[in-house]
Amino acid sequence: MNIFVRIEPSSAVPIYRQIIEQIKYQVATGALKEGERVPSVRQLAGELAVNQNTILKVYNQLCSENVLKIERGNGTYVTGGKQAISLAERKKAVARYLREAVVQAIHLDISLEQARELLEKEYQAIKSGRRKSRSE
Amino acid sequence: MNESAIEIEGLEFSYGRNKVLKGVDLNVPAGSIFGFLGRNGAGKTTTIKLLLGLFKPAGGFCRVGGLDPQTDSIAVRRTVGYMAEDQQMYGWMRIGQIIKWVASFYPGWDDKFTNKLLDMLELPKRKKVKSLSKGQNSRLALLLALGHRPKVVILDDPTLGLDPIARKDFLRYVISLLQTNGVTVFFSSHLLYEIEPVVDYVAILKEGVIVKSETTEQLRRSVKKLVLRGAGEIKPNSVEGVLDIERVGDRIAVTVEDCDDGKRSAVEKKMGSDIIREVDLNLDEIFEAYVIGNRGEAVSA
Repeated sequence: MNIFVRIEPSSAVPIYRQIIEQIKYQVATGALKEGERVPSVRQLAGELAVNQNTILKVYNQLCSENVLKIERGNGTYVTGGKQAISLAERKKAVARYLREAVVQAIHLDISLEQARELLEKEYQAIKSGRRKSRSE
Repeated sequence: MNESAIEIEGLEFSYGRNKVLKGVDLNVPAGSIFGFLGRNGAGKTTTIKLLLGLFKPAGGFCRVGGLDPQTDSIAVRRTVGYMAEDQQMYGWMRIGQIIKWVASFYPGWDDKFTNKLLDMLELPKRKKVKSLSKGQNSRLALLLALGHRPKVVILDDPTLGLDPIARKDFLRYVISLLQTNGVTVFFSSHLLYEIEPVVDYVAILKEGVIVKSETTEQLRRSVKKLVLRGAGEIKPNSVEGVLDIERVGDRIAVTVEDCDDGKRSAVEKKMGSDIIREVDLNLDEIFEAYVIGNRGEAVSA
């Protein structure tokens, strides 16, 4: 199994969204590489003890976002990551996460300047992690 | 998925003068995994016993796989796999013996499948039932419930008393053995967070009636906690669909079902204050709001 997912049952985030986010994260960091085959719906559902319909929904959503692609009769694979959705949509999706981070920053008395610095650092770290694992 | 595996309509039952079920209505779609939730004593086990034809209802009816347990009890038992709450089995028997014994009741018992299950569930055939661990015991009970290849499986609080690892293993078997084969699973529990990942639908039983029956996803999406600045007085039962009202410092938190714009503005109007935040809840919190929610009667303090 090349997908590592940890489900937090007490979270208010629905389970399918938890799984989607973790798979996306693994693609973004390069832990899951382009062309790599992911487990079948049945396999992953059995492994995680999660309803098959939930996993099916996760895969469909990730396919529609062009993170995964299904090759008929041949399994599901990680795509090159070319985004099918518009830039505006993608920005909106990212803004949702940033909002939470900004709330935290304000609570913890982090200035906009400091927050910007942190964002850059995290961005670089994940990007370079991706490059590193790709060259392996 | 339009076909129902289990239909219950207006089901009533009493133990002496104690009315336990007061008109239960429920519809379990074929092929689904259905979570049947309620606190201890809500009437879950009683409902299940009526489904199996072990009790006679005082009113209403139920059907399992299209059959009436009152008139077709044997046919129902052949269609259904049942695992009782804290199932007791003869301790002096060996696993192999108890399987043979149970198999003798079912003309459709599948020996090949049973052997596969023994392997998969890691049950040693020669071991005596009394020497099994809790986890092995529940796996054996599951095997005995599945050996005749039932279309509908009824599990009454099957993970009761198991440690977290054994529980997760058990749920894994439910997915890989049952859902994969299109079996309908009716699963009672009082641990919502545990069954949430596994179930398609959830029904909540409270004091003998179903207070909510919904897809897990829809239930999560439709119940919200609205936080308002607590200027206004809280009036009892102010808005339809309010499950819980609580005062937290200078804020008022109102938990509502079927949350939409209409409901939001109704709450704002009644409370005479604006919603400043809307909070998603986890299923445990939602369950709590339904079964012990304070609908505004006693918040005057």
